[in-house]
Amino acid sequence: MKIPLSWIRDYVDVNVDVQTLCNKMVDVGLEIEEVVYLGENVTNVKVCQIVDIQQHPNAERLLCCKVDVGGEIIPIVTNDHHVKVGDKVPVALHNANLANGLHITKGKMRGEESWGMFCGSEELGINGDMYPNADSDGVLVLLETAVVGADIRSEVGIDDYVLDVGVTANRQDCNSVLGLAREVAVALGKTCREPDLSYAEGEVETASLVSVDVQATDICKGYYMQGVTDVKIEKSPLWLTQRLAKVGLRGINNLVDITNYVLYEIGQPMHAFDYADINDKQIVVRRANDGEKIIPLDGKEYTLNNDDLVIADKSRAVGLAGIMGGANSGIKEETSCVLFESATFARKNVRRTGRRLGLRSDSSARFEKGIETYTNNVGLSRALHLVEQLGCGKVTRGRISIGEVAGNRTITFDKRRIKSLLGISIPDERIVSILNSLNINTTVQQKNIVTCVVPPYRDDITRDCDIVEELIRVYGYDNIKGTLMEKSRITCGGKTTEDKLIDGVKNVLNGLRYNECIFYPFAGKALYEKASTRPVDDSLYIKVKNPIGEELSLMNRSLAPNMLQCVALNLSRSNKNLRLFEVGKAYLADNLPLETLPIEQKRLSVCATEVTFEEFRNDLLQVLRSVAIGKVKLVRPDSDVLHPGISADVFVEGVDVGHFGKLHPQVAANFEIEADCYYAELYLDKLFELARGEIKYQPFAKFPSVSRDFAFLCEEEVAAQDVLDEFLSLPLVESAELFDVYRDDKLGTGKKSLAVNVVFRDRNKTLQDADIEKQAGKALRNLKEKYNVSLREQ
Amino acid sequence: MDKIAEIKSAFDSEISLCETLQELQELKVKYLGKSGELTVLLKSIKDLPAEERPTFGAKVNVLRGELESEFSKRSEQLKQMEMQRRLQEERVDISLTSSQPLGALHPVTLIENQISELLVAMGFEVLSGPEIETDYYNFQALNIPSDHPARDMQDTFYVTDSILLRTHTSPMQARHMEKKKPPIKMICVGKVFRSDSDASHSPVFHQIEGLVVDKNITLCDLKGTLEYIASNLFGKDTKVRFRPSFFPFTEPSVEVDLSCSNCGGKGCSLCKGTGWIEVLGAGMVNPFVLENCGIDSKKYNGYAFGIGVERIAMIKYGIPDIRLFYENDQRFLKQFGK
Repeated sequence: MKIPLSWIRDYVDVNVDVQTLCNKMVDVGLEIEEVVYLGENVTNVKVCQIVDIQQHPNAERLLCCKVDVGGEIIPIVTNDHHVKVGDKVPVALHNANLANGLHITKGKMRGEESWGMFCGSEELGINGDMYPNADSDGVLVLLETAVVGADIRSEVGIDDYVLDVGVTANRQDCNSVLGLAREVAVALGKTCREPDLSYAEGEVETASLVSVDVQATDICKGYYMQGVTDVKIEKSPLWLTQRLAKVGLRGINNLVDITNYVLYEIGQPMHAFDYADINDKQIVVRRANDGEKIIPLDGKEYTLNNDDLVIADKSRAVGLAGIMGGANSGIKEETSCVLFESATFARKNVRRTGRRLGLRSDSSARFEKGIETYTNNVGLSRALHLVEQLGCGKVTRGRISIGEVAGNRTITFDKRRIKSLLGISIPDERIVSILNSLNINTTVQQKNIVTCVVPPYRDDITRDCDIVEELIRVYGYDNIKGTLMEKSRITCGGKTTEDKLIDGVKNVLNGLRYNECIFYPFAGKALYEKASTRPVDDSLYIKVKNPIGEELSLMNRSLAPNMLQCVALNLSRSNKNLRLFEVGKAYLADNLPLETLPIEQKRLSVCATEVTFEEFRNDLLQVLRSVAIGKVKLVRPDSDVLHPGISADVFVEGVDVGHFGKLHPQVAANFEIEADCYYAELYLDKLFELARGEIKYQPFAKFPSVSRDFAFLCEEEVAAQDVLDEFLSLPLVESAELFDVYRDDKLGTGKKSLAVNVVFRDRNKTLQDADIEKQAGKALRNLKEKYNVSLREQ
Repeated sequence: MDKIAEIKSAFDSEISLCETLQELQELKVKYLGKSGELTVLLKSIKDLPAEERPTFGAKVNVLRGELESEFSKRSEQLKQMEMQRRLQEERVDISLTSSQPLGALHPVTLIENQISELLVAMGFEVLSGPEIETDYYNFQALNIPSDHPARDMQDTFYVTDSILLRTHTSPMQARHMEKKKPPIKMICVGKVFRSDSDASHSPVFHQIEGLVVDKNITLCDLKGTLEYIASNLFGKDTKVRFRPSFFPFTEPSVEVDLSCSNCGGKGCSLCKGTGWIEVLGAGMVNPFVLENCGIDSKKYNGYAFGIGVERIAMIKYGIPDIRLFYENDQRFLKQFGK
């Protein structure tokens, strides 16, 4: 929140410079987001008095003035004909800077010396709330009391700092000048003065004006009301509007300004009703009826429901509780009697209503942070004090008080708890002095019993650990010295098996020159559509209800869209030879909308450009084999992202673990990817279930192997792996590899020749030719039968 | 007899003319082969008188020994010469130093690995947990009820009213404590989500959550652990500073600053002149949280911390904009390789 330093000084004597003050505030837990010196852009402007005015000899519209700068008389040329001899005015002297960015230097105007410029309010960056008559155009004529020669900044109230203080969510009490002043006092070791809450009551009984019925006690914990009669609505005094101006509010009239002043000073949102608009002398705090309409002070109509809280008279709502008063009961110039409301409305309720209606105010912002019922009375009394001070009317007798006022809270605990949490001890006398400075009255008794009486405005302090925090933040965190858990038990750490496998996969991919990427795990429908040759059914996707944009709204069901977008981006930046991978997740729901948490399936995407199918397949197989053992089978896929003829589904031990291949030309075109691009997506969860177990040593084969080459003739569509598999399924075959593919007109169209090397070995004896003939013969027969593959005539 | 001397003499002149192993081999066949001169000579023994035969045989054998020795000597010489010749001839340009680089891990992974490694050595388990999380674990179990103003601290992406994208890795504190009793030392590493996006905020970023629960765990232990991490990441002179703060699930709560690694604490543009860089939030586990998870808060204390991984990487590697992490320009990625 923003507060002027001058306002803090009402409560604490600040005897350090602003930078030191800020540092000390940070030390006790207040975040200083910004410090603004209001007069920063106004330099070398002084209060001067006009001692002589003459018509400019060369220009009809200009005047030549002589002004007293406080001892020295200098010439100023002006075009403002309203100025008079004897007026005190702000003068920008040589090298002055002004709030509107102007830089003023000595010069001549139409031949006459002018050593500066008279200033208006705009050049000083002020308005009528900061200084009398500052809302009018032209040269600002200062008050009689202005001191000639003085810096203008102190005269017009901009010789002040405004601190923007970040208050943590637990310290609602610090969202006020008073609350921050208390903290400043603690930080500086000073005492904080209490606000003046005194006022005299008049003859009229509050109870004779109005009765209050709080029906929704669950969401209105406290409701206080007192009136003012004989009201005179007028402009507030300068000191008050200046303060409001510094926190960014315009002065409206004395009564409304008082409510705003109390909001900032005490932290209590207040509302003032025009008594004449309250029918039947009755205030009812109730839930709105479904469909009930209200027009608050912003002039727009809102439709309410039963979750909303309204302040009503007998017949109609006169205010939206905690958010905004009704237009039907606001303060007007002719208002003669006012009812002040000071209450605690539930933050959840104010928040929900405000968000639903899109209606927020300074009041609702406070209520959303939480208001203690204790503050209701303080705020109301302070408002009535100001009424008296400003002479706006007579305070009615007696206060309508509904709800319980929070009292002091007592917390008792064992002193050793301090050391057990902090690891250090704090001397008893420091414990007492620190807590007392926070208005937490504390005694340390025998047997280590600490008793603390916590003031009602500190609703964040409920347990011993809260007291310990108060102690250490004032005692100083620098007293905490690092230790390494010497007194705790030893534990066995480490990564999970799955994470170790992932590390291994990343390692292999790095070795194959692939770079790791990380993407957002969501995208928009348009991107999913680009990455698919089929229509995208977005009802299958887990959807973020309140995304930053549609393009970040659907949780991944595939890693391809983000990866391909990345490839396109890299290619557009002329990055070549892309080798990319991501370990990410697909979020798969059993049913939507979600009732239970979805499956988060770990996946690997791999992408490369400027490679061949064989190279990419080889990379993929190396990754696979680094994790899983077992039989790998590649089959033609039915993919919406890959080229149907140059891609494969991957099965390990019959389990589908993913797919890879060349990008479908349609998808490539969608992403404007012109380079040859290969993509793979593997389901790591499934792969890890097939992870290799313990390694067992195998003795080397004692008997020699026999190597034979075969040349086969077959149809083009026969899969080479099927031919190899016929051999590999035989017991005496150690390996079978394709070493050449040959196509020739002599073979016939649609035919190819496969050259295969097979290694035979019997682990128990030396192979005989007959054994090999028998084995090979079986394979050759099967090949002929199953695939019409025959041995080529040499 | 002269025949032997003749052969020897012819041999000596011929062997000295052999320049290659091939020629040497041919010479060897000529003299010592099946029909070589020595074999022929030996066969001629039958033409000699019986009493001369032994002497003759012995002499031929001596000659054979001599020839064989000459052959191997010459062979060795030629091999040496051949090697010398190859050493002269075989030369490559060894000056080029570029190589195909290995692939790189993402800088986020590098930081995660580095911190995990440090903490694993101290006995921490490394976990991950669900990214789509329940309101209960993300908020309520961590002492953030539905109307708590602390919910405004984190702009949450919701999937349903009660299911959301986790806003921090802290839900794993509760999940883990429900399953495991003290002593607990764990970190949770992974993606978190906030509806926020500019040069220093990304809607997706990574956190490392640390949690320790046991008897005799203190704020000093928290500081010591963070000092250990900081000195390993940024150098042993790095200082750790605590400032008071607020998190609903820790009490006391602190913001943790590190002395600026760029200027050593003197003040620079990276630390905005303060000499300190805010890197993480931490604190002593709030007893409400312990109790929510069925742990006796009278017996056990704990500490917890949450590190923003990108933030650490930005400081450590001098990365100016968080969006670079998610753009995945290969020129960016390759810089983190070996």
